[in-house]
Amino acid sequence: MSLPGLELTQPSAEREFVAAPPSQINLSPGSEWRFEVAFGTTIRVKLLTGNAEIFGTELAPSQTYTFSGAKSAIYTWHGCTLEVSAGDAVSGLDGMTTTPTATRSGFGAGGCQSEYIAEETPMVEYANVHFALETLRTEAKASGKDGPRVLILGPEDAGKTSLTKILTSYAVKVGREPIVVNLDPSEGMLSVPGTLTATAFRSMLDVEEGWGSSPMSGPSAVPVKLPLVYCYPMVNPLEAEGSVYRPIVSRLALSVMGRMAEDEDARETGIIVDTPGILSQSRAGALEMINHIVTEFSITTILVIGSERLYSLMMKNYENKPSSSASAATLDERISVVKLSKSGGCVDRDGAFMRAVCESQIRTYFFGNPVPSTGSSAQSLSASSTTNVTLSPHAQQLDFDTLALYNYTTSSAEDENAEDDDYDPAKLTTGDSFYPGDNDAEWSAQQGENTSSFPGINPANNNSASAAAVGNALVPLKKVPAPAPSALANTLLAITHCPPTNNTAEIRDASTMGFLYVADVDSERGKIRVLAPMGGRVPSRAIVWGKKWPAEVVGLVG
Amino acid sequence: MSSGLASDEVAEDYKNSLEDLTTNDRFQISNLTVIAKENTEHAMAISRVLENHIRATPPAQKLPALYVVDSIVKNVGTPYTLFLGRNLYQTFMNAYTLVDSQTRRKLDEMLKTWKEPVPGSLDTRPVFPPDITRSIENALIKARTAALQQQQARGQPDVFNRGRVATPPGWTNTPTPPQNAARYPPSSNQPLQGRTGSANGHPSTGESIPVRSTPTPQLQAQDVDLSYLNRDIEVLIAAARNEFANNPLDPSVQQRLKALLDLQGIMQRQQLTQEQLKLVRDQVSALAPKPAIQHSSQIPVTSSPAITTPPVTQPFSQPLQQLLNPGTLAGLIKATAAQQQQPTPPPQISPMLSQLAAAGSTPQISTSAPENPLIAALRAKGLLPASSTPPGPSAPPSNVATTTFPFIVPGQVRYTPPVPTPQAMTTAETQMTVQMNTASIKIPRSMLIAGLYEARSNRCGTCGRRFFATEEGKQKKARHLDWHFRTNQRMADAARRGQNRSWYVDERDWIKSREIGDDQITTDNETATENTPGTDNKPSSKKGPPKQWVRAPNDATLRNTPCPICQEKFESTWSEDVQDWIWQDAVKVGSRVYHASCYDEVTKDGPAPAPRETPQGRTGTPDSVLGKRKAEGPESPGQNVRVKTEPI
Repeated sequence: MSLPGLELTQPSAEREFVAAPPSQINLSPGSEWRFEVAFGTTIRVKLLTGNAEIFGTELAPSQTYTFSGAKSAIYTWHGCTLEVSAGDAVSGLDGMTTTPTATRSGFGAGGCQSEYIAEETPMVEYANVHFALETLRTEAKASGKDGPRVLILGPEDAGKTSLTKILTSYAVKVGREPIVVNLDPSEGMLSVPGTLTATAFRSMLDVEEGWGSSPMSGPSAVPVKLPLVYCYPMVNPLEAEGSVYRPIVSRLALSVMGRMAEDEDARETGIIVDTPGILSQSRAGALEMINHIVTEFSITTILVIGSERLYSLMMKNYENKPSSSASAATLDERISVVKLSKSGGCVDRDGAFMRAVCESQIRTYFFGNPVPSTGSSAQSLSASSTTNVTLSPHAQQLDFDTLALYNYTTSSAEDENAEDDDYDPAKLTTGDSFYPGDNDAEWSAQQGENTSSFPGINPANNNSASAAAVGNALVPLKKVPAPAPSALANTLLAITHCPPTNNTAEIRDASTMGFLYVADVDSERGKIRVLAPMGGRVPSRAIVWGKKWPAEVVGLVG
Repeated sequence: MSSGLASDEVAEDYKNSLEDLTTNDRFQISNLTVIAKENTEHAMAISRVLENHIRATPPAQKLPALYVVDSIVKNVGTPYTLFLGRNLYQTFMNAYTLVDSQTRRKLDEMLKTWKEPVPGSLDTRPVFPPDITRSIENALIKARTAALQQQQARGQPDVFNRGRVATPPGWTNTPTPPQNAARYPPSSNQPLQGRTGSANGHPSTGESIPVRSTPTPQLQAQDVDLSYLNRDIEVLIAAARNEFANNPLDPSVQQRLKALLDLQGIMQRQQLTQEQLKLVRDQVSALAPKPAIQHSSQIPVTSSPAITTPPVTQPFSQPLQQLLNPGTLAGLIKATAAQQQQPTPPPQISPMLSQLAAAGSTPQISTSAPENPLIAALRAKGLLPASSTPPGPSAPPSNVATTTFPFIVPGQVRYTPPVPTPQAMTTAETQMTVQMNTASIKIPRSMLIAGLYEARSNRCGTCGRRFFATEEGKQKKARHLDWHFRTNQRMADAARRGQNRSWYVDERDWIKSREIGDDQITTDNETATENTPGTDNKPSSKKGPPKQWVRAPNDATLRNTPCPICQEKFESTWSEDVQDWIWQDAVKVGSRVYHASCYDEVTKDGPAPAPRETPQGRTGTPDSVLGKRKAEGPESPGQNVRVKTEPI
């Protein structure tokens, strides 16, 4: 992950980079090596002896893995020896950017900002969760039930996504096909931030990139994964009291259930749902949203990491209650709530780091995983192990008038606290002046109605004119009129699969086809210059503006 | 290949190749020899792999593996002679005891050649140093002598042996067979038959007898000879130590060694009564013969004492059972506890050391025999607390294997913590259920981890993915490696042209799509994906344009380039599904785009165009178009290719 030009937000504890000699790290059984690598620097890790895994995905022996911009850990059940060396500093890629890259590194092995060996990990618990799930899966298969549906809850930076990865990896390792649902819009899974996704995993996760890659036109060293993507261009799922998040979750759950019904392997394996940490904080509406997720996905197992309070709440609300699946009554399917320890390796990822993660995901969507360095001889040796695929997006001009561009017009001042500002500095720059008519009171009134009477996710409901009118009125989604607002610049546009003339409820619920990056806005001529992932005409579909999130990404196009 | 690779990588390759060696295939063997020759700097790793392989492989495949050893030491010599010589005794005897008599004859012949110089070589030294071969020979001679004695002694009451051994009906009830079967599936038959035969005291061949060499004479003596007993324990401990040195991490070995040391301690510290000695002697002798039979024989051995105690087939155990009913046992224990005496050092041992070298052969081979027999036997005979409720045939099978193996120390009853045997793990893995609750998931279950690692020992060197070491796993891995190969080629290919992110699929396509693993039989659209970029390289492509197509290039000159075959230009059409301009009926081969129909015509007899070929396994890869890979002909045997092509 290289981020030329994006290192402005890096912590300052970085110096002139001096290549550190390769160092060997010996791990005793059951310990892990935790490391942090800044964006812009890389380290190379090689497994010399023994077995090791990174979030459940096993490292191949003698392969060189390159990490950049990561806070991660390599765990070993059996003990291992790792060789860590400094990788090359990331330089510009593909000629698209010319920003010179400053190299930054810490003083740990291979130039890690921080690295140490930890003896105490919650891996035993996490592995046992996997085995417990396997037990449930075996039972489910025997009795014809669906596999377990797992919901992972916990505050920010408690290791939810890591646990999701571990459970996914182990399931894949024993030949299962879990459907992994990411409901956290602040970090994308196989997509950019600001999306909710569902993916059936059958192949190995990518050691270096975390999840892997969504399909590209060319081959990939790690099998690509096929995500189903919904756009939710806000950080906070409770935005507008969840009136946007909730129906999208329902829609996503419906698709997942549809897949489960048809895909035997997925049905036996079940679902793993990763959630945003915000839901696990005591926010107004968070419990209702959790309940919504539990209901929609017919959750059978709730894993709570690192929060006693939430655990006791969940125990009270759900433990031993029948799940919401249609067959729960006949098959006596009950929800179990399990508390898990938070790993001592969980570190707070500050706003700057999350911002960098966000930008790197967007960059990866358009440009692929960059080659850490082109001139290195060592690189060529490890070519097969790295997933460095360079993608060529296409820049083109679009008439703004031809676009059916929609924007969410929620303005929830109460949710925009300092924490959100960390994620979304761009928010400060975007005014609300486009819709002077909107105000909080109006919207909260509408949303109150919305939560109780929302027509649901069946598009058929909206076919009639009256239904469409209702849908339009309730969804805080407005068409952006000409002229093109200058705030479009440097933001993402999500192309949905929905025809441009459909009503806003359908547009909101539609899955996403892909993203455009607005490089430039020419309001006078009514044209915008965009970066599309591939050539050809931009499909004429409804487009949703990611104005608030992922918001502005500067310097994607030089 | 010979430089720059880590030893374990070479070893891994070698191991995989060895696993494919199932018959006495001269070509494969010579091929393996060549690999060994090219990798002398990894000789130690390769030797280790060979030894492990010979130990673990089913008896039917031991001979070819030993032939590899033979071929290597004769054709390559040092350093292999050195490394392989170290453990040759164990390796050879281990194999020898497990194979049938015909194979033994072959092994005898091979051993004979090891005492001589390499034929045609100028070096006059024998293949292996004489002391190594001599120790093996001595052991074999000793075994044969014992077998002869046994045959002569056949007239005498042989109940002990029968009682301990010949209880085939009990097998079906035992927990052990599945475990052993899982580990050494094909091995169960042959040696079992040999065992049953000899158990009846009418061995069909002399060779199957060595098994009984040590215990037989003692058992027939009515009084327990303490020195014999001590010696036997000593020997067993030596064997266990040896095993422990080899496998320090194996809990079962630790357990066994500990049990033996405890027993020795008891023997030395206490003056035991005749009855007690008889008991101990019986345990020891029960332990001794088993090893010789080795893995496969664990089945009857384990089961008979542990489970079939009451049946009539056990004339010997009956009196013992009576002798040692719980009440008597308690009395015995009390009595011994009171009789704390000077240790009785076994000075008798030294004069017998010479014998030991030979007799030791039996226990030495025992290294991999599990501790179960000893423990189970102890329990059955009443030395263990569990004896108060002697497990009947209906005893829960897994108990024997996985529960504790308590060992009694006079004066107190002490339970050693439960240490499941490695064999038990593999079975338990499938049976073990983990409850989904907070308390349950805090319990470490290291044996389940084995299901993620050791159980899938066949590992891809490129991505670390694991496969079962079964036939199916091998096929999967082969397909998986194929996938790597193709992908690498295509990546190299794709690096030259621009790639881009595909659009995400819509809901319907996603629901209909099925993840295709990289280990499944590739379908005919495999290479089509190379030509049909975009959303269509997924199974969800059902909506894509019919037949073959490629995206119309953006470059004007390329767009105007005609089909090289018919010299007609391509027609661009807008595809709603792809959301792009495409050329229908077009196929891209290398850098040129052809009309698919033209290309079909021309290449009908040549290298088949990619999309119509259905690649299966490692051969017939459609990438033959690219000319990089040759079909696997007889001149490029699979073994070699496998080792050479594995990506680094």
